Order: sequence, then structure tokens, then C-alpha cells
Amino acid sequence: MTPRLHPFTTLTLAACAAGVTTAAAYWPLSVAVALAAVALAARRGVAGRVLTAGAVILTPLCLSLLVLHGLFFPEGQTVLAQWGPARVTAEGLGFALELGTRTTACVLVFLLFSFTVSVPDLVSALAGRRIPPQFGFVLASTLTLLPAVAGRLDRIRQAQETRGMVVGRGLLSRLGALRLQMVPLVLALIDDAGSRAQALDARGFGSPGPRTSYREVADPPAQRLFRAAVLVLAAAAVARRIVASWPAGVPS
Amino acid sequence: MTATTRTALQIRIEAFTFHGEDTPVLTDTALSVTPGSLTAVLGGSGSGKSTLGKLLAGWLRAGHAGQFRGSLELGGTVLEFRGVPDDPRINPAEWSRRVAFVPQDAAAMLSSVRATVAEELAFGLENRATAREDMLRAVERTAARTGLSRLLDRDPATLSGGELRRLAVGCAVITEPDVLILDEPLASLDAAGAAQVEDLVRSLRGTGTGVVLLSQAADRFAGEATHWTILDAQTALDGGTVTAAGTPAQLAGSAELERAGVIGPHGPGGIGSGAVGSAGSGVAAGGRRPGPVPAAAPGPAPASLELRGVGFGYARDPRLPGTGAQDRVLRDVDFAVRPGEIIAVTGPNGAGKSTLLRHFNGLLRPTEGDVLVCGRSIAGVPVGKVAASMGLLFQHPRDQLFERTVLREAAFGLRQLFGKAGAEARSRAALAEVGLSGTEEAHPAELSASQQRLLALATVLAREPAVLALDEPTVGLDRHGLEALQGAVGRAAARGAAVAMVTHDLEYARRNAHRVLELSGGSLRDI
Repeated sequence: MTPRLHPFTTLTLAACAAGVTTAAAYWPLSVAVALAAVALAARRGVAGRVLTAGAVILTPLCLSLLVLHGLFFPEGQTVLAQWGPARVTAEGLGFALELGTRTTACVLVFLLFSFTVSVPDLVSALAGRRIPPQFGFVLASTLTLLPAVAGRLDRIRQAQETRGMVVGRGLLSRLGALRLQMVPLVLALIDDAGSRAQALDARGFGSPGPRTSYREVADPPAQRLFRAAVLVLAAAAVARRIVASWPAGVPS
Repeated sequence: MTATTRTALQIRIEAFTFHGEDTPVLTDTALSVTPGSLTAVLGGSGSGKSTLGKLLAGWLRAGHAGQFRGSLELGGTVLEFRGVPDDPRINPAEWSRRVAFVPQDAAAMLSSVRATVAEELAFGLENRATAREDMLRAVERTAARTGLSRLLDRDPATLSGGELRRLAVGCAVITEPDVLILDEPLASLDAAGAAQVEDLVRSLRGTGTGVVLLSQAADRFAGEATHWTILDAQTALDGGTVTAAGTPAQLAGSAELERAGVIGPHGPGGIGSGAVGSAGSGVAAGGRRPGPVPAAAPGPAPASLELRGVGFGYARDPRLPGTGAQDRVLRDVDFAVRPGEIIAVTGPNGAGKSTLLRHFNGLLRPTEGDVLVCGRSIAGVPVGKVAASMGLLFQHPRDQLFERTVLREAAFGLRQLFGKAGAEARSRAALAEVGLSGTEEAHPAELSASQQRLLALATVLAREPAVLALDEPTVGLDRHGLEALQGAVGRAAARGAAVAMVTHDLEYARRNAHRVLELSGGSLRDI
């Protein structure tokens, strides 16, 4: 088994990959980064989840890019087709491809990070860096809240179906059922939140002052050095790219 | 108890009123806790026990949660509250170091963001900046005390009810408080789980912790108490107040205990002797065993509910090794309930009782075999349709109730079945059946926990189903609630409904069913 990467190491890698891809603005690189993210996801066994979530986020985004830039790109010269004011230009399509692949690469990289990072490790690492514990708590509970709400909704639906509620396939029927499920759901969530807040207060969560961490997340010197190096290299690559694309003929 | 024993914690409540309410939830109540003692606060549902516990523990704070007139004394320091803005303020974190509270819903105690039992135990220490070496020692010590040593690496979300309760107690006692307050610590635990919690309390008392038990049952555990305080509301509109206090010997069997709706020493099984029979079901006549056991099962009518060779297993997590394999919960189960018959299924926590019950109306579908309701297979029939002949009562009423008033709740969905006038008549009758007449216009959330369960039962009864299936019907009910439940079930059976209930309470099952079956290893057998 490979030694575990510190959450900050994977976070640094993800942020640098996204930063460099954005700065490079070179679609073959974007495609390569996206493919690498998928390959790594497959190796960690989360390819299905990464691709599903990616599709939900990226499909509407890429379609809108295609419509916006593919059809309406004022700078476009090479007209491939035209319907009234809408012109499909090669430049427009190229721009949409550029932007689409870049966004895809960034989204996939961050999805890979969020599906593979150990949340407890991340929260503990954040707490160790004097980041307010409330931040870590919110981060961790956003990830635990969704399954909890889904589980409760399922129980409410079962209880209500048992009382003779037939949920049909139609949209109206589903919306009607949803309305009846919302009342117990919201009441229960408010109730839960109230008692959880009292318990957290009693366990000292609200008190100011320093904190310690029971969970130890190993952060070997090699990984710290690696992070620093990656950050420096990424910054250098971005800087070089900015200098290179600086308009040459700007009068000084 | 000698006169020299130092009081660890003392409360005197003239009145406590929640913000936004007119009547106090607690009046004229006093309680004192001495080191190593067990004090039981007994009362029915809605008597203000939990409010008292939370006030003692600083979970409800004067000014913050409501208006408090009275005093609190901890370790010799007296805090006087007059219900004015410049009353003393309690720091909940500091207070709970000395006075810890474990709520009725043990899961509410947990932070929910810690990955293992060990980290959850340490959460309170982390927030107090305890050095890591001290934390490791405290976690180890507390785990040994609460019997969690083997579970330290488990995800808290995967614990059983009994384990979860012990973890919640562990989280409360890891700071070594002087006083520990437990709200219904044995609710819904089977015998083994209850014994573990009782042992833990004994060992804590042995080391000087004063324990307060809030309970609606004067059971064996409460019998170990050094002192009983009975809380009761004078009228339905009043808050709770102390109606009697003394030793268990003085108060056992007292009128105050009876009136408060506290369940007696024999548990739910000991309630309402003959309730089923006296309800006019007729099935109890000529009992072969002592007690109210309804002896004669009805004749060989066709079964209202029948399971034929039912097998079921939950699919395993596909990411775990052994993909495709299933954990078998039910194996070749044959089961039939006839009109007028009451059958109880018992078994320890986690035996699969609720899984079995969920097959009755199609919430779960068998992997083998068939389920027949009123002689017809329910395979492929939507749950909402099966509900016309099958009424199922879940453990948590909160998930079932969604209407604005009690009457609307009971009448939901009846119009299609019985017309407008019929729907109202039937829902009023069902409310009367469970003793909720007079609450028709109240909001369901305003009812006490016990009454909410009865309302959920009324919503099932109002449909007059051929089969009644009840999941742990006794849990959370006080004595008045249990009597209403038994009356209603007995009358439903007398009208010809088939009743199947699952319960971990063997005594209750024996006294209230024609047949008792045990579910173990996925199979049913008569006991």
C-alpha cells in the first residue's frame, strides 16, 4: 500500500493542476489533465461517482458554451454555416472547445480531490492550522448532511405510503407528495439542529480558545518539501505564461 | 444517606417558562443529588422530566431558553435566578464538565463529524485543548469503563442502539463529571443492552458520580435508586410539578405514582391487567395462563396475512469484498395471522424484526417466497394500495405526522374511502379510541411524545384495516398511553382485525398475544 498523502498535498496538487491548466489555455493540455484525473479516479475506484457528478455539472455548462460561442462569436472570420444573425464560425467553435476543455479539466480535478480526500483528515489538518473549528465542522457536515437528509426523507416517504399515500409517476403527484414530506422533514431537521446545538455547546464546541486534535495526520517532511516545490513550479509556469502572452508591442 | 453527605447539585424551581409560552412547563420543583447516589425522577410523558434534566445540566439556560425563577447550587456555589436580564449566566461548556447530560435520543449527543468512536469520545476534550497524551489516556480509560474498547475504530454511524447509548454516556463522562443525568437510558434497548447500561451506571456510582435517572417506568433499574421524585401535571394545561418524593419503598404503589402515568415494576407487560379481555374482545375469556393472556385464538378462518417461504437479504456494499453476496436476514419464513388473532414476534435488537414487518405491506419485497394480504399476493402492488387492508405503525411518529391539526391528521386520505361525513366520523371515533378526544384542534407537534404515538395509531385505526402491524408499540408510551394502546388493539381484534406486532419486550408479548414467536437466525419459532 502506498503511503497516505496528506490532505494538503492532494489539495495543493489539485489547485496547481487547475491553475496551470487555466493559465496555459491550451486545449490538448486540458484534455490530458482531464484524462489523467479520470484515470486516477478509476485507480481509486471512484470513476463512476466522479464522472456522474462531472456530467451533472459539465453538460449544461458545455452546452451553453457551445451555443454562446459556437453560434455568436463576433470575432469569427471563417463562417461554416449561417442562420440569420447566428453564425457558426471555426474561431467560435475553437474558443468553445478551449473554454469547455479547460473547465472540464478543473471540475474533474476538484471532484477527484473531494471524492478521494479523507474528510476527517482534512478537518483535523485544518484544525491544526488554527483555522476556526466551525469552518471544519461546516465542511464536514455538508458532506454528512446530504445522506442524513436523504435517509430521513426515505423514512418519511415509507411512513406516509403506509398511510395510504400512492405516489404516482406524474410530476403533479410527486410534487404533492413532496409537499407532505417537507413538513415532517423540516420540523425534524429543526428539532435535530436544536438538540445538536445544545450538545455541541455542552461539549465545549462553542468556547473560544485553543484546541487540540486527537486524530494525527502524518505530514512527512518530504511531502512538505514536495508541496513547496509544486507551488513554486506552478507559480513559475503561470508567470512565464503571463510574460509570454504580454502584448509585445506595448509602448513603454 | 447521612446528614454530613455533601450535596453535589441542587435545583429549586419556582417556575420555568419557555420563551413564547404563557404557562410554565415546571413549577415548585426541587431536587438534590449527592455523590454516588442514584436519584430517579419519575413521571409520565409530558410531565417536564427532560426539561428538568436539561435545566440541571445547563442545556437549557435561564434567559437564553426561557424564563427561570429559582436557584441552582453546584459544589457549594449558589446561583439565584429571578427571571430578570441581570441573572447569572451559565457557561454550558464549564457547567457540563461538572454536570453531564445524556439525552433520550443518544445520537443527538454525538458531533456527527467524527470518523471513529475514539475521536467522538475525544471531541469534548479537543475543544478544551487537552494535551494529546492526556486525551489518549482518557479515551482508553473511558472506553474500558463503557465497554467500548473493542469498538474504538468503528464508525459511530454503524453502532447498535445499545452501543450508541454507551458511546453517548462515554462522551458525557469522559470529563469525569460530579453528576450524570440520563434521560430514558433504557428506552428501546433489549435485555442485554439494558444490562450493559445498568452495569455502567453502577460502576460510575462506585467512583462517586451522582446519577439522576429520568424515566417513565418505575422498573427494576429505578428500584435501585436511593430517592424517587414524582413529577406530574395537575391538569392537562399545567406544567409538571413534584407531587411526591421519598424512598422507593415509600412510593412504590402510591396513588401519586399511579396518577402520574408511571409504568410499574413489571414494565409494559404489567400494565392494564386484562386490558385485551376487558376491551370486549372475548378472546381473553377462559384464560389458560394467569394474567390477561387472550387464550383462545379464533377458529380456522382464512388468514388475513400470510407469508409463504419468505427469504430476504440486504445487498452488501458492492465496494466490499464478496460482491453480490447477501446478508440473509430472513430464511424460509412461514407465517399467518387470522382475523381476530394477535401474534407477537420478539427477538433481540438487530434480529430483523422490523425487516420482517416491512414485508407485510411491501416496503421491502422478498427475494424468495410470497406475501398475501386478504388472500391476494401483494407482489407488484404499490405500498399505498396495500395500505387499504394493512395498517402499519412505525416506531417514530414524527415521520408519520404532517398535518396542521390532530383531526386533519386522522382524517387524511379517508375521504376517498368513506366520503366527507364518513371520514370525519371515523377519524373522531379513532381519536376517541386511543383517548385523544378533546385534542382535535391541537397541532400534532404540541402533543406529548406518548400522545403523538397514539395519534399515529389513530391514523392507522381510522382506516379500519384488515391487518394491524405494530412496530415496537410500547416504546415511548407512558402508562396512560399503554392502556389506550391495549384497549384499542383489543377492540380492533374483537372487530376481526388480525394483529401482528414486533416487540423486544417478551413479557409484554406473552401477556397480550395469542401466540408469541421468536425471530432468531432469520427463522421464526413458537416460544
